Amino acid sequence: MNNVKRKRWIAAGTSALLSVSLVACSTASPGGQGTEKPGDEAAPELKSLTYWVGLASNVAATLKSFGDMTVYKELEKRTGVKVEFQHPPVGQEKDQFNLLITGKKLPDVIEYGWTGYPGGPEKAIKDGKIIKLNDIIEKHAPNLQKILNEHPEWRKQVVTDEGSIYGFPFLRGDDYLLVSNGIALRKDWLEKLNMKMPETIDDWHAVLTAVKNSDLNGNGKADEIPLLISKNDMGGSVAFLGSFGVNYDFYHVDGKVNYGPIQPEYKQFLTVMNQWYKEGLLDPDFAVTDSKLKDAKITGNQLFATVMSTGSGIGNYTSLVKDKIPGFKLAAAPFPVVNKGDKKLWSAKTYNFSGGVAAAISTSNPNPEATAEWLDYAYSEEGKMLFNFGLEGVSYNMVNGNPVYTDEVLKPKDMSVAHAMARHVRANFNGPFVQDKRYMEQYASLPEQKESIEIWSEPTNERKLPPVTPTSDESSKFASIMNDVNTFKDEMFNKFIMGAEPLDNFDKYVQTIESMGIQEAIKIQQAALERYNKR
Amino acid sequence: MNSVKHTAAGTARTARASQSVLVTIGRDLRRNKLLYLMVLPVIAYYLIFDYGPMYGLQIAFKDYSPGAGIWASPWVGFDHFIEFFNSYYFWRLIRNTLLINIYELLFGFPAPIILALLLNELRRQWFKRIVQTITYLPHFISIVVIVGMLVDFLARDGIVNQLLAVFGVESKSYLSEPGWFRFIYISSGIWQQVGWGSIIYLAALSSIDPTLYEAAKVDGAGRWKQMVHITIPGIMPTIIILLILRMGSMMSVGSEKILLMYNPLTYDTADVISTFVYRKGILEASYSYTTAVGLFNAVIAFSLLVISNSISKRVSETKLW
Repeated sequence: MNNVKRKRWIAAGTSALLSVSLVACSTASPGGQGTEKPGDEAAPELKSLTYWVGLASNVAATLKSFGDMTVYKELEKRTGVKVEFQHPPVGQEKDQFNLLITGKKLPDVIEYGWTGYPGGPEKAIKDGKIIKLNDIIEKHAPNLQKILNEHPEWRKQVVTDEGSIYGFPFLRGDDYLLVSNGIALRKDWLEKLNMKMPETIDDWHAVLTAVKNSDLNGNGKADEIPLLISKNDMGGSVAFLGSFGVNYDFYHVDGKVNYGPIQPEYKQFLTVMNQWYKEGLLDPDFAVTDSKLKDAKITGNQLFATVMSTGSGIGNYTSLVKDKIPGFKLAAAPFPVVNKGDKKLWSAKTYNFSGGVAAAISTSNPNPEATAEWLDYAYSEEGKMLFNFGLEGVSYNMVNGNPVYTDEVLKPKDMSVAHAMARHVRANFNGPFVQDKRYMEQYASLPEQKESIEIWSEPTNERKLPPVTPTSDESSKFASIMNDVNTFKDEMFNKFIMGAEPLDNFDKYVQTIESMGIQEAIKIQQAALERYNKR
Repeated sequence: MNSVKHTAAGTARTARASQSVLVTIGRDLRRNKLLYLMVLPVIAYYLIFDYGPMYGLQIAFKDYSPGAGIWASPWVGFDHFIEFFNSYYFWRLIRNTLLINIYELLFGFPAPIILALLLNELRRQWFKRIVQTITYLPHFISIVVIVGMLVDFLARDGIVNQLLAVFGVESKSYLSEPGWFRFIYISSGIWQQVGWGSIIYLAALSSIDPTLYEAAKVDGAGRWKQMVHITIPGIMPTIIILLILRMGSMMSVGSEKILLMYNPLTYDTADVISTFVYRKGILEASYSYTTAVGLFNAVIAFSLLVISNSISKRVSETKLW
């Protein structure tokens, strides 16, 4: 039965392929690829595309669709391809993606963090959802091909263990772009207290206590919040936890993988946080403070230190309170260490390609070659300018050979720079193109922003795992273990710090995670790391 | 021998009966064409949205992968059910789901009945109407807005904390305390639905024969006695039917409201089966596993419905089928 069915499918597939290539023969496009070898037929002309992609919140703030952005309006003019964007509701990208892929008819292009596909990107290819692009990129995407050849380290991150390329990647084009967040504090309050920038955990304790006991915002109420960090900050910057040498996930020491939240170092971190929570140094609502509440606490002149990013953090807040809080000044803090002189091990530094954010071509796409050519434009010199800076005269001007954003972008009325920039280009979030360093140099134009990138780049980050992927066989086992472990560790993170669960029960907590099968997950990650190193 | 004859006769009878049933249905169809036309969308709704998707239930016993599709995914038997029963969170989910429902049954179910009885005793029509309107209104507010209000009111610097501060109560963030979750969930639910829920009882009340009350008055019954001996027995069938229906949804909780209200801090008391299915199934793409969990939930709910119906049949003669 199954066999018959499969044969029928193969037959259907073959005839579909045949008809596609017939179409390809009959509508040979004028001006084909110069690099083509003889025998390759030129891709048929592309008229329109459906393109599924999450609407970035910076864009959603002012526009309804990527199609309204300068970059895509201009791209349509230059390539003649009409793109119909399909955006899931903001905040439901994950739900919608997981439902989308169960369907048979997919959009032509799907841009997503493909490590989130159940079973990983390689499984998406094996499931017949997206196309393995190695050959197509070689023949039809010369610009991307060139970039990957020039940067073997990027290529290693872009391919799967099996060597497949699954999408047109988002690449951070310079190491300067790899760190964008870390711990920052109110420099002006620190100066008022006449204290120096804290370096060790003990320094921090002294400074936070001083903040707690001085009415720094001068409103006569003791409403200053010395520190706000939550489990969401553990993933990126590993604030304070990293000081003890581990992170909130898998890490490795000289190639040996281990799991942070079951280490004795993690208990040390919890003990400190629990103490700070009891002393009122840590925001009592740390566990339920979302980004909006956090914004309110900073712009409301209440919060002293927290984790934030260069652009939407330091830059955004500084411009928001410019006229309201005199003297307001944020500064990045160096990564705290336990003892003075300790090596700084962790930062939010990421990889040139991370999370698998890439535009993949689905198997429903009738014209993958031409779609690849269209996507490849973003990796050409003109395309890079278009995606990073937009249209000359509208969003940037050339000054001494360098693109400089116009005032419309950098000095917008009634909105933040992040929102204004996202009306034109995808530089300040992500997308299938190579991010340009010159964007960040202007986006982070304040001296404290420039300084923050330097300070946050200090740690060695040597224990961070590279972007490994489990094999498709292992991944469902891995996911099933980690789903339980992650829920449990997140709950216990809060309980231990808030004292709802005494720290004496830490051993019991480790045992529970062990019983959920963490050792097996560690083994899977270890194997994945070894495969990655062999790529 | 005897029984064989009996069954043979029985089959013949049923055949004849079903034939005559078909004839009756045919006649009825012709007579009430428009009525049937009107019910058609409802039938279509159930076929398309409730019976059709049951086809997909098979993935509870399979290892579904989006590539293979529903039909071609390999069978794994009861693996997913066993995984769920052995899961660390199994008992917590069952406990939370049941407790929220039991509390809702204890406090939420009688509330509209009491309101309807109280309204029934009111003699001034204008006052009754005002009370009704005020109690209906919250029903029409979207659940998202309701929870938004709860979040604001119950925040650390919200109105509830500010009021309590007058009496010297220390402020706290109610929505991040597991101990408060059920109370807030149930009481806000009662506030929102009590007026709307009372409508059906008021309708039942209006169908009670007024001569009964007159007779009772002649016999010297006061208002309390009238209520106990006439009003409540009068609406009892309605109460029981609604109670049976309520039992059927015993295992299902309005997941939207919990999803909006809970956070990792309150998972201890707030995480129920439906929210767990959403998180694991839709967010973490464990399609088969959560279908199994959902199916397990539905089977229990169905048996509760059957049991409560048969109890009611025996005790009070009121029944669904």
